[in-house]
Formats: sequence, C-alpha cells, structure tokens
Amino acid sequence: MAHIHLEDGSFSLIFVLVWWTAAIILVGIAIFLMRSEKKPDRKKITLAAFCTAAAFAIFQVSLPIFGGVHLNLTPLIGILAGPAAGSLVVLIISILSAAIGHGGWGLIGANTLVNMVEVFVGYSCFRLLRSMIPDLFPRAGIATIAGLFCGNIVMITIIIISGVQGVNQSTGNILTGLSLIAAVNMGVAVVEAFITGLIVAYIGKVRPDLLGDERS
Amino acid sequence: MMTLGDKKGLIIFIGLLLLVIVVSLAAYRTTGDMGIEERFSHAVGLQSGGEEGEDGGWFGLALEGSPLLYGIVLGVLVIACYAVYRHFSV
Repeated sequence: MAHIHLEDGSFSLIFVLVWWTAAIILVGIAIFLMRSEKKPDRKKITLAAFCTAAAFAIFQVSLPIFGGVHLNLTPLIGILAGPAAGSLVVLIISILSAAIGHGGWGLIGANTLVNMVEVFVGYSCFRLLRSMIPDLFPRAGIATIAGLFCGNIVMITIIIISGVQGVNQSTGNILTGLSLIAAVNMGVAVVEAFITGLIVAYIGKVRPDLLGDERS
Repeated sequence: MMTLGDKKGLIIFIGLLLLVIVVSLAAYRTTGDMGIEERFSHAVGLQSGGEEGEDGGWFGLALEGSPLLYGIVLGVLVIACYAVYRHFSV
C-alpha cells in the first residue's frame, strides 16, 4: 500500500535527514506518551508485538492484484495498538523491511511517516465514528480506507517536496504518475478494508476487551 | 438484528468500496499491468525497477526482498511474540 518503493539515492541527503528527523521526533513523542502512563498496558504491548509480526509478514507478500501490491495492515495496528504504540510498530516494520531489501534505508524515515499517518487516521476514524456507526465491521473498514487514503496523500506530498534525484520529469508529470499509483493502491485498500473489518469484528466478538471499551 | 446505525455504516462502507474500485480500475487501465516498483519507477521517471514478477511465486503470491532473511527475521519475531504472550499471559 502507501509505501515509497524507491531505492536509496532517490532522495537527496538533505531530505533523507529531514524525514528521518521528523520520524524520530514523532516516535520520541510516542515513547514519551507511553512512558508517561501510570501503569504500562501489558495487553497493548503484547498486541503491538503481534501486530509487528503479522504486519511485517503481510508487508513482504506481493498480492497478484493490479500487477502486484502488498497490504500494510497499518489501520489495524492503529485500531488494536493505538497511535503511540502503533508508531513504534511501523518504525520497526520499516527497519526490518529495509533489512531484507524492501525499501531503501534512507527512506525508512519517510515510510515511517507515511505509515504513522495511516495508523493515526485509522485509529482516529475508528474512535470518532463509534457513535455514528456502532457495528465494528463497517466502521473498521471505513477507518481503513480513510487511513490508507491519507497515507497515499502523505506519500505523494513527501515525494513531491523531496524531488527524485536523476530524473528530468516535471513536478506535474510526477504528480500525475503518483496520483495514478495512489489510485491503484486504493484498489488494494478494498481488500485491506475487508480483512481489517473481519479481524476487528471477530476480536470484538471473542475478546472485546482488546478493543478498549468497544462492544460489538 | 441490525439497527439503523448498522445499516447506515454498511451502506457508507459499500458506497466507499464501489467508488474506490471504479477509480482504481480506471487508474489500472491507464497505467497498465506492472509491479509496484516498476510502477513507481515509471511514475517518477526512473529507468530502473521491474524486477518484480519474474518469479511467479506461490499461486501468484511472491515474496519481496530476500526470502532467507525474511524467514529468519519473521522466525525471530514469532518467537519473541510467543515469549511475550507467555510472559504476560494475555
């Protein structure tokens, strides 16, 4: 899904540092928020660990849809682990993915920011729509689509701001090309929305406590 | 029994899905069939990319990056998660 699939060297060093710094600041805030809690939430930490393994696995599998696109599960991470723990989860996934050659090392900061937005928007939509849409399945699905849509917007914004080294295309052409990628990505968001909706609905039935104060 | 709120949620969800599918199919027809990295390289004007899809994978599902490292990293993660699960008795 929304993940910058460019190699190291695509962004200039300045922008690699800019996005890394921004990601580190946000992760620092997330760690500060988690540490400021009176008592560590062990369930949330364990859920975050499970989310890391599951999302890392699904991240590397290219689905034979629209030429091959992978799922992220980032909105699901936001719904289950929350935005603070979810920020750490996506940072770890981005680092592990780069370690096996999926995305460049220099793009970890930018990709972490993109995925953080998906986590945050997925979480926020899921919570904000609670009174309007009580049913977990459609609410989680809508939150997923909203999260992935915003992630795609941030991905395009980061690439447009950074520019890509060694290309002669105008900003307008790059914007057009990236918008088409975002639109194709959103097609896979449909699959992800179904998966997230089903997982959240199932967890809501068997372990509603894992969804905070949710009741299915 | 479904409440009005449940139906409203499903209607919005299905409406969103249909909209997204239509837009995605239109974009897919415009760009043609290519892997995600190839699509990215093409979009920004890079010449590289297009390594994806050479290995058919397993029923079309292919692993990106290094499969050996993927197995090792995933194995370590699964073991760590299991240890955390046992330790905290969720």
